[in-house]
Amino acid sequence: MIDFKDITYNYSPQSGVYNIDLKIKKDEFCFLVGPTGSGKTTLLKMLYFDLFPHKGKVEILKYSSSNIKKSSIHKVRKKVGVVFQDYKLLKQRTVYENIALPLHINGVGRRKIKQLVNEALDLTELSHYSKKFPNELSGGEQQRVCIARAIVKNPDVILADEPTGNLDPTTGHRILKILEQINKEGTCVVMATHNYKLISDKAYRVIELNEGRVVSG
Amino acid sequence: MIDKLAFLFVEGIKNFTRNKLANFICIITILINFTILGAFFVFGYNTENVVNFFRSKYTFEVFLSSDTSLDQAVSLKNEFLDDSLISSVDLIGKEESAKIFYDEFGEDIIQILGYNPLPVSLKVNLYDKGFDSEQVNVLIKKYESNSLVDEIVYQGNYVDSIESRINVFIFIFLILVLLLIFISIQIIGNTTSLSMSNRRDFIEILRYNGASNLFIKTPFIIEAFLQSLVGSLLAFLLVKYGFVIINSYLGINIKIDDYLWAWMIVLSLIVSSYASSKSMKRILL
Repeated sequence: MIDFKDITYNYSPQSGVYNIDLKIKKDEFCFLVGPTGSGKTTLLKMLYFDLFPHKGKVEILKYSSSNIKKSSIHKVRKKVGVVFQDYKLLKQRTVYENIALPLHINGVGRRKIKQLVNEALDLTELSHYSKKFPNELSGGEQQRVCIARAIVKNPDVILADEPTGNLDPTTGHRILKILEQINKEGTCVVMATHNYKLISDKAYRVIELNEGRVVSG
Repeated sequence: MIDKLAFLFVEGIKNFTRNKLANFICIITILINFTILGAFFVFGYNTENVVNFFRSKYTFEVFLSSDTSLDQAVSLKNEFLDDSLISSVDLIGKEESAKIFYDEFGEDIIQILGYNPLPVSLKVNLYDKGFDSEQVNVLIKKYESNSLVDEIVYQGNYVDSIESRINVFIFIFLILVLLLIFISIQIIGNTTSLSMSNRRDFIEILRYNGASNLFIKTPFIIEAFLQSLVGSLLAFLLVKYGFVIINSYLGINIKIDDYLWAWMIVLSLIVSSYASSKSMKRILL
């Protein structure tokens, strides 16, 4: 499903990721952990082709960084849901409209959109917030909207970049629970975090990064 | 698919209503440019009528030698009428020539000289359809050698001069049209760029959620189309009613092409789609 083959990406001579070899299976839930600047976000960005490795190649689903055309990147992103630490929600759109956005992009019909958005709202316990705007919500609620938007298109992979980074521990656990629930339904989840405490009691695979290299996992 | 198109159309309308100031400036610019363009089109259209007017007047005058009798003049007239280039020939007798002289110079030549020195002449009118000045020159040369002919004055030379000036005018007109189209492209392109820059976050979010470039572009193209449609429609109304007022005020009859509205709108839509696509290409690299 996901394969990093000896990839290197340099921001500068001292920062980047180096010689990473990793495989992540379908249905797997794994954490990418490490301190700030260790390369977690860089790896995730390569998975949705926001960055391309300077050396080696990344494969996700049936797409490879070595031969994907720019005009085809959107096809990968239709199958990958991304949860951002800064949420990246449209401030002038309601919760409902934000969640429905990927479905409009995928050309889903209006009735089906309504059904799928309501399901995503239920799963993320946001049903009462559908008509609210993002700035009327707390950080945790906004992050749940972001998760709902990522899962609504039924992706093959969810990439969550520090989804609990700005949240209190209780809300963080709640977000993690939602991601676990999604994974139980068959979606591969890769979550980047530097919050070791949050994942300490979890039995999932943990890939530890430090200074751009895989330390364990 | 229909739902997707409906979504994109609504997004385009939303862009148009949200970006009020930039759109207003763009519409005003299109209005000004297309009003000037429309006025040029009207002048161009009427210039064609002026040319046609001159062409219908294509004639040459044949002055016969003083000893030509009326019978000889009639015979020559009939000879002219046999030529396929000639539509009609008017015979102008000596008395009529004296009258024309009086009308033009205010003097009675018979009173001044005591006799009428003016020759009999023929006014030869040419067909305007399929007119070819080369053929006319050949015809004139042929008759210049006729013993009855004293002189042939060809009006076509003046028309040629007027036509050559009109060609210069048309050339300047085309340059100005291209210049105005270029200015319109720049302004629509810049407004699209501004609109996209204002919604950089929106574009980024669309991209991360799997939107293709075409999906991202469509609302902005619709926005540019709306700007052009409103701007060019207002420009058409301004040109049309502007000339109606000018006609009634000056008592002239400047005609307006029945399809002017269609030309203006189609041209503005072509300009806007080109300008917006060009600027989007730059941003969505």
